[in-house]
Formats: sequence, C-alpha cells, structure tokens
Amino acid sequence: MTLASFLPLAIELGPQGFWWMNVLFLVAIYSLLGLSLNLINGYARMFSLGHHGFWAMGAYGAAWFTIQFHGHMPGVPLFLMSCVFAMGVAAVGGLLIGLPCLRLRGDYLAIATLGFGEIVRIAIQNSPREALGGSLGLEVPRVIMDVTRKTKADFRVLMVAIGFVLVALTAWAIRNYIRSARGRAMLAVAQDETAAGLLGINPVRSKVLAFVAASAVAGLAGAVYAHYQGIITPLEFNFMEMVKIFLIVVLGGLGSISGCVFAAFLLIFVEQWLAKLPADAGFFKDWWQVEYAAILVLLMIFRPRGIFGPREITDVWRDLKAKWAKKRSAA
Amino acid sequence: MSDVLFSTHAVTKRYGGLTAVSKVSLELHPGELVGLIGPNGAGKTTLFNLITGADTVSEGTVTFRGEDVTELKDYERAGLGMARTFQNIRLWPDMSALDNVQTVYQGPRGNNGFGAILRLPGFKRSERRIRDDSMKLLERMDLAEHADMRSVDLPYGEQRKLEICRALALEPKLLLLDEPAAGMNPTEKTDLMHTVEQLRQEFDLTILVIEHDMKFVMGICERIYVLDHGEEIAHGKPDEIKQDPKVIEAYLGGAE
Ligand SMILES: Nc1ncnc2c1ncn2[C@@H]1O[C@H](COP(=O)(O)OP(=O)(O)OP(=O)(O)O)[C@@H](O)[C@H]1O
Ligand SMILES: [Mg+2]
Repeated sequence: MTLASFLPLAIELGPQGFWWMNVLFLVAIYSLLGLSLNLINGYARMFSLGHHGFWAMGAYGAAWFTIQFHGHMPGVPLFLMSCVFAMGVAAVGGLLIGLPCLRLRGDYLAIATLGFGEIVRIAIQNSPREALGGSLGLEVPRVIMDVTRKTKADFRVLMVAIGFVLVALTAWAIRNYIRSARGRAMLAVAQDETAAGLLGINPVRSKVLAFVAASAVAGLAGAVYAHYQGIITPLEFNFMEMVKIFLIVVLGGLGSISGCVFAAFLLIFVEQWLAKLPADAGFFKDWWQVEYAAILVLLMIFRPRGIFGPREITDVWRDLKAKWAKKRSAA
Repeated sequence: MSDVLFSTHAVTKRYGGLTAVSKVSLELHPGELVGLIGPNGAGKTTLFNLITGADTVSEGTVTFRGEDVTELKDYERAGLGMARTFQNIRLWPDMSALDNVQTVYQGPRGNNGFGAILRLPGFKRSERRIRDDSMKLLERMDLAEHADMRSVDLPYGEQRKLEICRALALEPKLLLLDEPAAGMNPTEKTDLMHTVEQLRQEFDLTILVIEHDMKFVMGICERIYVLDHGEEIAHGKPDEIKQDPKVIEAYLGGAE
C-alpha cells in the first residue's frame, strides 16, 4: 500500500482518458508558454517572435542534462535538477539575445527574435548526432518512471498534475511581480518609456528582466515537455508553434492570466480533436494552419485586445453577474 | 554668492541646420524659484531635454550637485535628484493615479523581484511605505479622491497636478516644470501658482519653471531667463525683465 494509491493520481485510464490527459498536459505546457510570452508581449508591450526558441532550449537543455546524469542520480532529483538547468539555459539565452536587442525599437526586436528562434532550431537540426541528436531527435531517459513505478501513479496523470502546479505557480509569480515596484516599473516602461527614463527607471534593465524571466519559464515548459514526450525532435519547435503561442496570448487578452489559460485550452482542444478525425475529414482538418492565421486576423479586427481584453475571467464573471442582477431587478 | 546647485555652460543643440538652443548658460542656487520664458519655438523645452538627458547636447556641459552630468543617462540624472513634468502630459495612461506615483518611488527604496514574488515581509513593509508616502503626496495635491482612477480618465488640470505629484515622488532636489498651468482656467492657475511656491518650502526644492502665463511667472519667480531663437536674450528680476527692450521686442516681434 503506497501513499499515492490514495491520491487521485493512481486512476486507471481508458483510451478516452488517455486522450484527455494528453490534451490537458499540452494545455498546461502551452499555458506556461502563453503566460511567459504574455509577460513580454502583453505586460511589457515588447514584440518577441522567438519564444519557441527558448522552449526548444529548455527541452534540449533538460534532455541533455538528464542523459548526462542518468544512472548517477535518483529519478526525482534528476528530474528537478534538469528542470532548473533548462531554466538556466533558456535564461542565459534570453539574456544574450535580450541585451543587444532590447535597445532596438519594437519591430526590430520582432525580426531579431524571429531569427533567433529559427537559428536555435536549425542549429539543433545540424548538431552532431552524439551531442543533441541532430534532425533525428534526442531520447530522454524516463526518469519520472522511477516515481510512477513506486507510487503506481499513472505517468500521464502525474505529468498533468505537475504541469498544472507549474501553471498555478507561474500565474501566481507573475501576478505578484506585476504588483510590485519592479512590476510597476515594467508597466511604466511599456506605457511611456521616455517618461519612465526621466523619472528614474532604467528601461533596458526593466525590459531585460522581463525578457529573461519569460525565457526561463519557456525553458521550464520545455523541460517538462521533454520528460513527458520521451523523445524530442527539432522540427517540433518550428515557427508554427510560435504562431500558436502568440495566438493564445492574443486570444486570451494581452495582460490577462486566466484568459491565457482559457485560450490555451480552447486552441489545444480543437487542435487535438481535429487530429483525431480521419484523414479525409476535409476542410477543417486540412486547412487548420490557415485557420490559425485567419483567427488571428479576425481577432485583430474585431477584438484587438483579446476575448476578455486585459481583464481576468473573474472580472468578466463579476460584470456578467452584475448585468444579470440588473436585468432581473428591472423585470 | 552661495553654492550652485545646477548649471549649464554654453549648451547648444542643433537639429540638422536648425540651432534650437545656442550657447545657453544658466545657474540655479539651492532654494531658488526661477522662470524660463520665451516665445513659441524659442527652445525652452529643448533646453529642458538637454538638462534632464532626454536629448543629448551638441556642445556644452550640464552640471548638477557639483558633478558633470552631461554624459549621464536620463535615469541616472533622475537618480541624482532631478525630476520634471512635461508640456505634453506624459503620465502612464493605463495606470491609476496612485500607481503613477508609486512607480516613481521604486528607485530610491526599491524592493527586488524575489521578495515580490514570494511576498516576503521586507517586501510588504516596503510596499506599505511606498503606498503611504504616495497617498500623502496625492493628498497634498488634492488628488487623493482620484487615487484609483486611471490617469487618462482624470480631468486635464488634475493630470497636470498628478505630473507634479509624480515628479515629487522622486524626492528631487531640482524640479523642472514645463508649462504646468497650460490648459488650466484662471482660478486653477492661481491655485497652482501658490501651490508651486509652497511646494518649494515644504520639499526643500529648487525650481525651474517654463510658463507662458506672465502673471504666473512674474508672481512667483525670483529670477527669470528669457530665450529667443535658442539664445538667452535677457536675465534678471521680474521687474527688470518686464522693462527690457529686447524682451519686449522678442514678444512683440513674435506677435507680428
Ligand atoms: N526633436 C526635434 N527635431 C527637430 N527639431 C526640433 C526637435 N525638437 C524641437 N525642435 C525645434 O526646435 C525649436 C525649439 O523648440 P522647443 O520645443 O524647444 O520650443 P519651446 O520654447 O518649448 O516652444 P513652446 O513654447 O511652443 O513649447 C523649434 O523650432 C522646434 O521645431
Ligand atoms: Mg515647449
């Protein structure tokens, strides 16, 4: 009898449950990516198109670390340390690209980060087979299995739980950061950089901090993703992923935490549901990538501030309740 | 004469072929309230930009608290105790009035990111102090009732006052006001005039103010510098300035 058999982690999954766990895990990963990109593109109002690069750096960082120390260390600490290592790798990447680029104006930053994301992927693709696996990808030792074997927890359920704990922690950390002196400085630089500088705020420092923190979270998402997938290939981290993350941020509302998670769920659910359809399912399946772009264009036209705007779901809910209450009292 | 808090030495700014500021030298002593006037396009705002580091000088030097600050960045000069307001209001629009003030307090007694994320006791203490001090400033400028309003939603005159409030949050030695009364009605203007004079005492400030309203400038400034076409054409006590033929010429010439 183990402790975990009391936890809901040890449930038995049918194929339907499998599918759902996969969807939920991806929702957690894309929420992490969305939340962190939201810090850059939403709160700090910069324009980065290289987030998939930091995600890839985290995934490969964790994979590399795990391979190096597999067998020398028990599974749990190895898992944790690989996550920390991945965050470090992505953060250093963020610093190296951020320091020169964040002095640039918005559109230059977009181009520079776009180039960065592609360079990361192409560099991995062309890496020697024994270093990062080249285009064939890298196999990640399943260290988390050490835990599931002992506790009988289902691997996917455990990963979903880890994923959402990280989403909650990240959301909490971002919210706390925004409501602090450093966070206010970041918002000030976003809203009027000149005024911020003249009132004693170092704009470059403020931007670099946001950029590095966001890169680290993307790296963390990459690490957990790598451990879940068991094998990662460079092609997974292509520019289409960047479009997806960006769409999640815009859909959820630049600067809205709950909106971001909600948008991640919507997008991943639809995507995975379409993937389940038979190959000849027609228009919706075949044209999905075009539809991403179309959604983005429509959003920009009709709801340029996202579905909820910068508000949280709780705010929207409160407003709706107030509206209903008014209607009822009027009737 | 007593020590000099702030001075410029022959600062010049050229934009292509246009010389917006030409060899201007100012000197301010601690506690002074000095006016900077001149017709439209005289180069007053440009001079403020050179003083605060919003723009770089073409020639000349700027000295503040005995230090040559010509090469310093804007935020570094601000850190030494130099704060300004803007002719075209530049509040942070989506922030509340209170947050506009709180944001500026971050420099002198900043709390770091880790403390903020983990909500450590030191962080909470620091935030409480920032909040209390900011509220006090808002109360001082009669803005407390608007504390939670978005700054863009404030009436125009209140926005101007909030800019002063925000500048005071930097705890400056030198305060530079660029047309603080622009767009205000006569009563508001008179109120602001007295407020500026009082703030100097309360916060131990040295003030340099650009203002087109002559009643305002003549009413509170001890000395006045006059710019025209980027050059300093006169300098002296309000009464002297009023009678200076060059000043009269500059203003009448501009009206033609
Ligand atoms: N960034 C710039 N680039 C080019 N020319 C500029 C720039 N800033 C100011 N100027 C020019 O410099 C001159 C002085 O402008 P400035 O804004 O300093 O005048 P001012 O005395 O503040 O006038 P006002 O009373 O209208 O505010 C003007 O001719 C203006 O067009
Ligand atoms: Mg001006």
